[in-house]
Amino acid sequence: MRLSVAAAISHGRVYRRLGLSPRSRLDLLRNLVTALVRHERIETPWARADEMRGYAERLIDYAKRGDKDERAMRMADFWLTEKDLIHKLFKVLAPRFQPHPGSYTRMLQIPNRDGLDRAKMAVIELKGNALPPLVRPRRDSDKTLLNQLLKGYRQDAQRAAAA
Amino acid sequence: RVSSDGKPPKFQPPPKPVIIDRKTQKEERRFLSPEFIPPRGRTAPLKYYIERKDMIQRRKVLNIPEFYVGHVLAVTTADPFASDKSKRFVGICIQRGGKGLGATFVLRNVIEEQGVEICYELYSPRIQAIEVLKLEKRLDENLTYLRDALPEYSTFDVNMRPVPRMAHEEIPVNKLQVRMKPKPWSKRWERPKYNIKGIKFELPEHKMKAAQKWSQPWLEFDMLREYDTSKIEAKIRKELSEELEK
Repeated sequence: MRLSVAAAISHGRVYRRLGLSPRSRLDLLRNLVTALVRHERIETPWARADEMRGYAERLIDYAKRGDKDERAMRMADFWLTEKDLIHKLFKVLAPRFQPHPGSYTRMLQIPNRDGLDRAKMAVIELKGNALPPLVRPRRDSDKTLLNQLLKGYRQDAQRAAAA
Repeated sequence: RVSSDGKPPKFQPPPKPVIIDRKTQKEERRFLSPEFIPPRGRTAPLKYYIERKDMIQRRKVLNIPEFYVGHVLAVTTADPFASDKSKRFVGICIQRGGKGLGATFVLRNVIEEQGVEICYELYSPRIQAIEVLKLEKRLDENLTYLRDALPEYSTFDVNMRPVPRMAHEEIPVNKLQVRMKPKPWSKRWERPKYNIKGIKFELPEHKMKAAQKWSQPWLEFDMLREYDTSKIEAKIRKELSEELEK
């Protein structure tokens, strides 16, 4: 007689299981972080982007400590597999994000992948990059009722002020 | 005072007092008991706030001294079956666990060649007094390996006198390397997961190398596992100092 339920309950677990093993998960995320630092905007499956986001932001926090810091240099050395990016991290990204206290990345969902797996994809980018913006901020159209009424009110106010 | 020339003696002002600001020096080095720091999780901070208030209330009544793992403590608890209703136990603190009001510490001693470990709750109302007999930190945070060490390392005299503390300065770290009983042990202490520095391993080289197979070198670079408690600690320290001064 089964007294306990053998269900897949993971209470309070924060890390997703990616790849083949914990080591492989970190290697996967490491490659993604390196790609993000190199290209500043990448498209990956949503789950990987979500996991990677935390690590990327913590890496930038470490970089903000400066490259004289021993621990910061070791972290950057581990997390960036292409060593020319360490220079970019400390000299370009750290000063760029110095005024911000946190949240250096933006993650948006994308239509599912075209291949057989139809995976949920996301684009993750570092804020303040030189690429064209992902989301064009749309201004309210002038032709809605409220905007027309407001426009009329502004014109009346101007006429009353001029008179 | 004999006055020469009939004039009054010249006024000598008193020497200027040398002000040694001990208070600011002491502030920097205040000890915050680890059970005050809330763990990382999804519990509401209100729970920890309420617990902290109760802990401070208890601390106003009972003086819980600053102690670390490796100190030798004597604890007097209330016992209804003892002749003078109280019981005294002396031992070395092996580990401190738990957060909030359920904080515990385990004391170990070897009495009549039988190893005894008692787990006390810091804030239990049965505890009547805690005295620190010997202050010294060890190389590790967890001395559970003393169970597999030779009994001489866990024996402490029950009627030991408190060793006087030199000055209000650093707590000395005892770099003692403990010798173990022959294997099997209760846990495989040579594995890097335990990260024990206080054992003198007399195992052959190949066994130590085989134990390194279980090392996880990527764990130190896993940034999300780090829990930075500096800001939380500062807040709690301020709260504690305010409450205890009332």
